[in-house]
Formats: sequence, C-alpha cells, structure tokens
Amino acid sequence: MSPIVNRAKERAARLVPMPRVPRAALILLAVVAVLPLIGSAYLMSILIKVGLHAVIGMGLILLTGLAGQVSLGQGVFYGTGAYVSALLCLRFGISPWLAMPLAAAASGLLAAPIGRAILRLRGIIVAGVTLTVNLIFFYLVVSVSDLTGGATGLSQIPRFEYPKVVSYTTFIFYAVWLLAVLCLILTTNLASSRVGRALKSVNVLGHGTEDTPQVLGIDVMHFKVAAYVGAAVFAGVAGSVYAHHISVIEPHTFSVQTSVLVAIMVVLGGVTNPWGAIVGSALIVGLTELLREVAPIVLGGPTGSYELVAYGVVLVLTLLFLPSGLCSLPARIEQWRRGRRL
Amino acid sequence: MRSVLAVARAGHGPLIEYRAVSVSYGELLAVNNVSFSVERGEILCVIGPNGAGKTTLLRMTSGLLRPTSGEIWFDGLRVDRMQAHRIAALGTTQVFQDIQLFENMSVLDNVMAGAHGWTDTGFVGASLRVASAIDEERWMRRAAIQQLSALGLAGVLHEYPEELSWGEQKLVGLARALLCRPILLLLDEPYGGLDTEEIDRLSRTLRALKNEGMTILMVEHLTDIVMDVADRVVVLHYGEKLAEGTPDAIREDERVIATYLGD
Repeated sequence: MSPIVNRAKERAARLVPMPRVPRAALILLAVVAVLPLIGSAYLMSILIKVGLHAVIGMGLILLTGLAGQVSLGQGVFYGTGAYVSALLCLRFGISPWLAMPLAAAASGLLAAPIGRAILRLRGIIVAGVTLTVNLIFFYLVVSVSDLTGGATGLSQIPRFEYPKVVSYTTFIFYAVWLLAVLCLILTTNLASSRVGRALKSVNVLGHGTEDTPQVLGIDVMHFKVAAYVGAAVFAGVAGSVYAHHISVIEPHTFSVQTSVLVAIMVVLGGVTNPWGAIVGSALIVGLTELLREVAPIVLGGPTGSYELVAYGVVLVLTLLFLPSGLCSLPARIEQWRRGRRL
Repeated sequence: MRSVLAVARAGHGPLIEYRAVSVSYGELLAVNNVSFSVERGEILCVIGPNGAGKTTLLRMTSGLLRPTSGEIWFDGLRVDRMQAHRIAALGTTQVFQDIQLFENMSVLDNVMAGAHGWTDTGFVGASLRVASAIDEERWMRRAAIQQLSALGLAGVLHEYPEELSWGEQKLVGLARALLCRPILLLLDEPYGGLDTEEIDRLSRTLRALKNEGMTILMVEHLTDIVMDVADRVVVLHYGEKLAEGTPDAIREDERVIATYLGD
C-alpha cells in the first residue's frame, strides 16, 4: 500500500471517537427506553419538557459551570433555533431533519459576535447584559411580524418524518432524551480534557484573575466565546426540536422568564455537574406540574403566583443547605457519614 | 508543539532586551527609562525595595501590562504590543508572587493546564474523545506526574490547592510553569514564605534548570539568596535602574550599598 494511503489511514485512526459513557448515562438510557411502555402520554409530555430544558441547561453547565460566565439570556438561542428551524421548513420547504442542524448552526453563529462583545465584561455584569439581550430579542421577534408572525408566532410547523411504529409524542420523547444523553456525554468528556481545563482556568467567579491562563498560553477570550457558542448550539438544537414537537411557537416561550428559569434549574441541580441540568430541570418542571394540579385545590386562585414563590423557596433552601446543588447531596451524605464514623 | 519550535528558533544575542522602557500609572512613574538585557541561559535577578517597579517589569515581559514607552524584544521579536497568550506561545511563562493556582482544579489538573500551549486538542476532539485526544491526555498526564514527582509532590496529585501548604503551592506553581516547557521563566518573589529546606530545594531546582539551558528572570527582595543563586543582578530604585552586574560587583557598588543594601 502506498505511503500516502498509509498516512491517511493513520490520520483517520487518530480521529476515531471513543467517548467515555458514564454508567449512569446507560442506566438513564435504559429507563428512557422502557418509560413509554408504562407511562401515560401526559407523563411523556412532561418528560419531554424536562429533557428539552436539560439540554439548554447542559449548555449553561459548559458556560457557567466550567467557564464561569453567567448567562440569563439562553432564551435568545433557544428562540433562534426554534424560529430558524420553523422558517426554513415553512418558507423553503426543507425537511425538519435538515433544518435542525442548520438552526443549531444559526444559534452558534449569532452567539459568536454577541459573545465577543459581552464577554469583555466581567462577573455579574455579564448576566445583566445577557438578560438585556434577551429582552431585545423578545421585542425584535414581536416587531418583525412579517417574518416571525409577531406576538402570535408561527403555526403549522411541520413535524419530523419518522417510522410510524410509535406515537409522535413517544418518538419526540426518545429523540429528546437521546439528545440529552448525548449532550451529557459530550459535556462530561469535555470537562475532563485539555479544553475543559482551559475553560476552568478562565473561570474566575469569586477567585483568581485572568492573568494566569494568559501566561500559560491560553487565549482567554477564545475559550469564553467558544463556551458561549457551545451553549448557544445546545439551546438552538433544543429550540428546533421544540418547534417541530409543538408545531406552534410564540415569542413568550423564549422570554427572559424561560432564561432565568433554566438558570435556576442549573443552580438547583449543581452548576459544575452535567447531571445538574437534568436533576434541576426535573425538579422545576415536576414542581410546576405539581403546583398546577394541587395549588388550585388546596390554596385556590391562579397557579402562576404560587410557582414563583415555590421556585424562590426551593432556590433559597438549596443555596442554604446544598450550595453546590442537589447533585452534591451524595457527596455531602458520605462526608457526614465519615464525620460520624470518626 | 510550540516550545519545540521556540527552542529551535533560539539563536544568538540576548533573549530579552528592554530598550528605554517606561510605565506610568497616571502621574506615578512606576518604571522610568530602563534598559538592560537578559542573556540566554543565565539567571538574572531584579532586586530593589517595595515600589521599585520589579513586578511591573515582569508583568510587561509577560504581556500583562503594556509599557507607556520603549520597546521589549524577546528572542529577536518585538513583544511589547503583543497579547500575553501570544508571548507565552513564544516560549515564556510566569509564576506569580501569590501563585494563583486554579482553586477549581486538583494539583494534577493545575499542572496539566501548563501543557496547554504544546497540545492542540480542540472542542470537537475533546468532547468526542477521539483517539488523538486520548493519546495527548496521556502524554500530558505522564509529563505532569513526572514534573510533580521531580519536585517531591507525588503525594499530592489529587489534592486541591487549598489543602496544600504555602511551600507546596509554590512548588505546584513552578511545576505548572515548567510543564509549559518555557525557554524563559519569569519568577515573582519565588522564595517568599518558604522555610530553609524549601529555599534550598528551590535554589537547587533553579540551578538545575539553568544547567539544562533555561533562562530565568527573577524578582526577589531576599538579597542574600539572590546573591547566591543569580549570575547577574539588576537593581531598581523608584523605577530607575540603579546598577547592573555580577552579585559580587553589586555587593561592592557604593550607590547600591547606600540606597538599598546598607552595611
């Protein structure tokens, strides 16, 4: 065989992916596989919501947990993913399967210049500016009604084509959770790599300066922006799947409220642990559904007002007793047990 | 694989040249018209009282601060307008006075972060864990463990910085810097806070590095140690260069004795 072919083979061998799949992710996949057999359609729709928020949250794990950049504006990229995907299908008639990666890429492309401008700032100011960008996005979507449908949004967004052996809700459930597990694996692998260390080195939330990564040859701005773009791509994919799941989108879904809620989910679950996005999302979506059922019966009145109070109470309790999030609970219990043994 | 290139490029003449460098913070002139050079393979110490401009000089060298006027040349390249990470990529790194280990990483990860410049796994390769990324990770890990073991820190690989003594933190900072494979090592008061045994160990390490061909530019105020370890000394006083020469010449310089060393 010629040296050129050999070299090409060697190069290809070096690019073979060998992702480390956590055992817990396999267990999660097994649970996901059997759930539609025993769960109701209502449970499926709730779990789809949990999975979609977990995917957006996983982006925040990358951006905030690793790189230390706080964002309260992920709704911008969730919305970009949804609108781009919907418009590509409605205006140009392309398949949702093709629209999804294009929508994710569009979210990433939008994030690059925004990130480059915002991430020159430091600390909590970044959070404030991302929130403002989300407000601007909301009013922009409402204003450009010829394209976006304004406040009423877009409807009749085509569904994914799929082999019709299960219901569409079940299919979306599987798709969302496969996506969530994929994001979990990618984030976990990234965290323990050269790139993960570079991201952690630019994380100066509460300690350190950006001097150290710079003298080690780490381009601080590059890694901050890359984390911002990565988080936007995760949100963009989630937005696209959401649009083809619900078939109707409107601007309110991508408002500041959604962005703040996702941030709360991640803080509750644990911002430095990729599982935190799943745990936090399950807790908040579950709590919302519980309140929707229980609050009107027990307390009377509209549910919305209780939701905010409940989120606040859970957040404060978590920050007081488990500041590293619910995912740190096993480690805390182990620490406590060791303490008792001593 | 940056450092290999940097070493290959290393040629003749001084490694670092400061040409009439000045820095001012508003009205305050921290460094005033300072010129000197650092030769390849030497240990040069900059001494002087607090506020002499020593740390400012190091920060300018690593690109964390831009001089108000003057030029800095590193290995034949003008670097005084270059970004810090680009200067680091040329083959230089700095250990800060307060070390600044990454508190969110273990000792091993802190040191492995030093290998960033000579490795190249990107976002896609790292998240998919492609074969080349795994290989690279193994090399980095092996190199970091070797470096830590050489400095007597094999027992603290999985500890976090807050669990280490000050002396251990200093050595981890040095290990991280050495994993950058620099040709110029910048040290800001490396002996501060160390006990006698740790001081001896650090001096031995610095001499060994010099023997391997590394150039070391160090800022220090413990003059006895400096005189023992340095090949040449530059004395700064209120931002101006007061004297330059071998440790023996500096010890006997009347201006230095009068203004800094005393009797």
